[in-house]
Amino acid sequence: MRLLLGFFSNFLFFQLLLGQPSETPSSGGIEFFETKIRPVLAKHCYACHGSGSKNAMGGFFLDTREGIRKGGNSGPAVVPGDIQAGTLLAALRYEGRKMPPSGKLPDSVIADFEKWIAMGAPDPRDGKPANWKESVVNVEEGRKYWAFQNPVKPAIPKVKHSKWPLGVIDQLVLAQLESKGLEPAPDADRATWLRRVTLDLTGLVPTPEQMQAFLADRSPLAWERVVDKLLASPQFGERWGRHWLDVARYAESVGRGRNYVMPYAWRYRDWVIDAFNQDKPYDRFILEQLAGDLLPASTPEERNRNLIATGFLALGSHDLIEQNADMFRMDVVDEQINATSRAFLALTVGCARCHDHKFDPIPTADYYAMAGIFRSTEMLSGLQRRPRDNVSYFNLNLLVKLDLPAGTGKDSWMLDPVKQRRWEELLAAVDEARSAPLRAILKKTAASASRPVMQNPVQTAAKLRQQVLQLLRELDEFPLPRNLAMGVREGRPHDVEIHIKGDPNVLDRRVPRGFVQVVSRPGETGFEIGPNESGRLQLARWLARKENPLTARVMANRIWHHLFGQGIVPTVDNFGKMGEPPSNPKLLDYLAVRFMEQNWSTKKLIREIVLSRTYRISTAHQERNHRLDPDNRYFWRQNRRRLEVEAIRDSLLFIAGKLDFTRPQESPVMEFSRAFDLGRGRGTYPKDYAVSVNWRSVYVPVIRNFLPQMWEAFDFPEPSETKGRREVTTVPTQALFLVNSPWVMDQAKAAAETLLAQPQASGRERIQQVYRQVLSRDPTPHELDQALAFLDAMRSSQSHEADQKSAWARFYQALFASAEFRYRS
Amino acid sequence: MRMQPSGLGVLSRRQLLQSWGCGFGYLAFASLASAASNYRSPLAPRQPHFPARAKRVIFLFMQGAPSQYETFEYSAELASAAQKSSSLMAPAFRFAQHGQSGHFISELFPHLAKQADELCILNGLHTDSPAHPQATIHLHTGSFNFVRPSLGAWVVYGLGTENQDLPGFITINPAPLGGAQNYGSAFLPAAYQGTPYQTRSGKLPNIDNQELGREEQRKQLDLIQSLNRGFLEKAKVDPELEGVIESYELAFRMQSAVPKVLSLKGESDAIRKLYGLDDPQTRDFGTQCLLARRLAEAGVRFIEISHGNWDHHSNLRQRIRQTAREIDQPVAALIADLKQRDMLKDTLLVWGGEFGRTTAGQSTDGRNHNNRGFTMWMAGGGVKAGLRYGATDPVTGAAVEGKIHLHDLHATILHLLGLDHTRLTYRYGGRDFRLTDVHGVVAREILA
Repeated sequence: MRLLLGFFSNFLFFQLLLGQPSETPSSGGIEFFETKIRPVLAKHCYACHGSGSKNAMGGFFLDTREGIRKGGNSGPAVVPGDIQAGTLLAALRYEGRKMPPSGKLPDSVIADFEKWIAMGAPDPRDGKPANWKESVVNVEEGRKYWAFQNPVKPAIPKVKHSKWPLGVIDQLVLAQLESKGLEPAPDADRATWLRRVTLDLTGLVPTPEQMQAFLADRSPLAWERVVDKLLASPQFGERWGRHWLDVARYAESVGRGRNYVMPYAWRYRDWVIDAFNQDKPYDRFILEQLAGDLLPASTPEERNRNLIATGFLALGSHDLIEQNADMFRMDVVDEQINATSRAFLALTVGCARCHDHKFDPIPTADYYAMAGIFRSTEMLSGLQRRPRDNVSYFNLNLLVKLDLPAGTGKDSWMLDPVKQRRWEELLAAVDEARSAPLRAILKKTAASASRPVMQNPVQTAAKLRQQVLQLLRELDEFPLPRNLAMGVREGRPHDVEIHIKGDPNVLDRRVPRGFVQVVSRPGETGFEIGPNESGRLQLARWLARKENPLTARVMANRIWHHLFGQGIVPTVDNFGKMGEPPSNPKLLDYLAVRFMEQNWSTKKLIREIVLSRTYRISTAHQERNHRLDPDNRYFWRQNRRRLEVEAIRDSLLFIAGKLDFTRPQESPVMEFSRAFDLGRGRGTYPKDYAVSVNWRSVYVPVIRNFLPQMWEAFDFPEPSETKGRREVTTVPTQALFLVNSPWVMDQAKAAAETLLAQPQASGRERIQQVYRQVLSRDPTPHELDQALAFLDAMRSSQSHEADQKSAWARFYQALFASAEFRYRS
Repeated sequence: MRMQPSGLGVLSRRQLLQSWGCGFGYLAFASLASAASNYRSPLAPRQPHFPARAKRVIFLFMQGAPSQYETFEYSAELASAAQKSSSLMAPAFRFAQHGQSGHFISELFPHLAKQADELCILNGLHTDSPAHPQATIHLHTGSFNFVRPSLGAWVVYGLGTENQDLPGFITINPAPLGGAQNYGSAFLPAAYQGTPYQTRSGKLPNIDNQELGREEQRKQLDLIQSLNRGFLEKAKVDPELEGVIESYELAFRMQSAVPKVLSLKGESDAIRKLYGLDDPQTRDFGTQCLLARRLAEAGVRFIEISHGNWDHHSNLRQRIRQTAREIDQPVAALIADLKQRDMLKDTLLVWGGEFGRTTAGQSTDGRNHNNRGFTMWMAGGGVKAGLRYGATDPVTGAAVEGKIHLHDLHATILHLLGLDHTRLTYRYGGRDFRLTDVHGVVAREILA
């Protein structure tokens, strides 16, 4: 076919379409190029339009054949054989755009270019750098690596200490401990276990009443009762949903160059929390996030939920002022590949963008096979790259429409026809400004302006911006419609070429859309991508299939990590060679298989783990074990763990009696200005919601580059990248926050007020109560004395009521600041 | 063992050893091997890879991109080229030679001109993006495509800091463009992020207790620490808990150390005058410069101060005169003051913006963005004083001689601090990351 095409006159054009730069031009033409054209390009153009400069002006490159024919934002620079088309000649002639800017080239040089284009623009410059090599990855060999082999349910091993295990998990753990000469720690006391499991499942400390009830329940079923109750509480989803939001790099503004708000991100957040609370099977959880828009739905509600789930693909941090449109598209795709592969497969497929993966058997072709899927998908984040007016980045047309009645909430203006009309007018005006050429708008606005259009392009652009800003400000007055969400939809389905070294201007062969080969099984069928679909649905099904060796393992490991503070594979987001191998492969496989057997139920897996003996044992130090396994890789004890910032904040509010358990309607971000970029300091500077609202922390808006102070101090993860395992640092800013922040003092005061309202309690009883509330235990006699002495020293006179209250507040605060409160044992 | 230093325990000794690139961590932690349970602050001073020429950095960030042709790049060729081409704009101010070095400095900087011999002027800088936000983030983190740790965070990660009562990286009045990313730690532990300080607020967040007197607070702290020690006793061994105990003592000391170092009360009238605090035009940046000196003196590793308003697309002649006026005397004072305290020799000053401006004029009295050629200067710690290095093409404005890409700039700054930019690595997401990624060449020509 290709050979035949070669006989047609539009040979070159077809070559271009096919992305096959393999012409064999006449040697005379090449010589002409080398003597007359290349030197001029090199001298006058490459500095601004060469691949040496990452951000070529106008988004185009003149130093490769592909680049010069592809052109930039205003179309191809050169169309071989056609001197009327292409932007290059016009620019050289100084018609419109004047190039090069240093001065018009002599007419004889321009005539050379004309001649060259007329002869078909022969151009020997092969875009491929000399050192570029097609893949050498041996995928077959790569499949031998542990993570690419399917998990197999292990045989239950024999253990010496046969009374210790309560179930299979314990047997697998104990067998390994015994083989390593380690001994499991003794069981934690019941109070410690209750505090541990309550914090782990809900992110809150247990109340003294819950504690009493559990201690009094002598039934062997007492543990199960607690766990079932915690799993059924809405607080479970708020805690575990947040874990997933770390993985999903959830945020409510886009960050980077133009930090505009993403007012509908909260819909995805709520969807995640609900998914955990409803125990949505994990395979389904994957399907909806990647391809919810393509799934059948029996009700409008289900359809809405499916659409909202695809917000996963639209939440990334993108640079809205990226100059090169192709680069931007590929950066978006890259972000989606990274998020998807790290979240579900714990693989860093993104590393294969510019070259074969350096460590894992992932060839560049695999990357572009996945890239094709996302290139064929349209992201609807509500934001767009570089609008002409440079202000209307927020674009309502770029969102998913939900099947919800409009005007039922703060958007009730939508029911008012007058307002509705004005709103539409404004939107249309902004749309026009966004897409029409600057000149046309200026003409139009000039007609109504009293002054003539200014000649100065900088000033006129600034003026245009002011006009659009005016429109945007008026739009800001209308509360946003509620029936929208972030997400994706199908775009134009097409395969993409391998981008050599990631450069969108240097293309190699085209790769059919597909997945990571090493995770596929040879000869596996059922995931063929048709010509009229992106392939997202197949990708989702391929990820969520039981034969995928990674998917179940990765999630089971994430769950284990959150319950023990350390994964069986400690590098929870990287199961590749640069990650760590599993410390107990049989245990990991057991959990993975079990997870799938129980219909991918997160709750059932968590239940089994927290009811194990391995989970129940204490954090006690043991010299001998510590010598053999200082990092507790084999789980001979529970790990003492610093509470996450959300658990610290929520528990403090809870103890103070101020925690608001209701889920806020939407997010305060819905009311932020869309006319301004948060990064410019001209917009609504986000206030510190962590201290100004009493919702659970998962509902505090996450604004990129404007994280709450408390979040920054206590290692909240950077919300632009998948982060399944948070850092834990210990720095004085944490101490300063706990002892000096007015917010912490407020919680202490509120708690003290409630405490003192209980009539006729003795000082000792009150101290006991404070210990139970904050540390979930009774004070020792020494601690009691110490507390009494402290309270005495803090109040000048016993009788004075205010003194009394502040003394107790300071006591509460001391316990809030204690390491024992900040850690869960 | 390959592992990210996170998860359990910040800085279990083992994780530190694993994550500090190529084992210079081993050296620093040799002493810990014998006392396995001792907590070590992530900010404790660490040995550099090789002897350092500078102990600390003061980065004077000029947001908006100052025009090199009106400040520190003397280009007679541009003046003559502009006579031939109407699109070019001749330098708007006179340049004269100063000092032994004969540095050409524009008339906008009469005070700095007196410090000419201290300056190492770099006229061949270039960077990748001509857009302010991207270039600002690029300059601060080495990347604009991804969220990466900032230069200051890398430096403190590599070297720790000398004064444990103060943050290791302080940024005064940080530029709004790019926001927290400019001083963030990204995937490095949060301990390395910069602490922003707003001169108008006058204090760091939570640095003082608004309710308790010092004595009362000590009592409360004693109770907290007694609880903590009890908890540690039960735990027997836990470096992280030791870290918590240590962090409270540090915090207590910070409460007095930080306000002291941020207060200018003890500075003499002569010093205030030197920095221009008596003049409303220079007071703002003068205050920042004086604070920078105080922080440097107190042992802060990385200090950034900022001044905006350099984006002169129009009315350049009038506006750049004003902007230059605001910084000229304060910056000259900082150099003089460091010199008289014998601190200039091991303090590295870096002055510059995110890119430069074009040779071509814009709206008759302005210049557009130019990322392909711009000027920065350094002074102090280990650079060749009096050197002028590099040049831009008088027509295209692109750096043509002595080219220094911003990755090279980063490599050079690290080098002066005794850090090899190819060895200062951190493992994250399956690979070792560097400030300079796979780029960067130390500009050896400018080293003293």
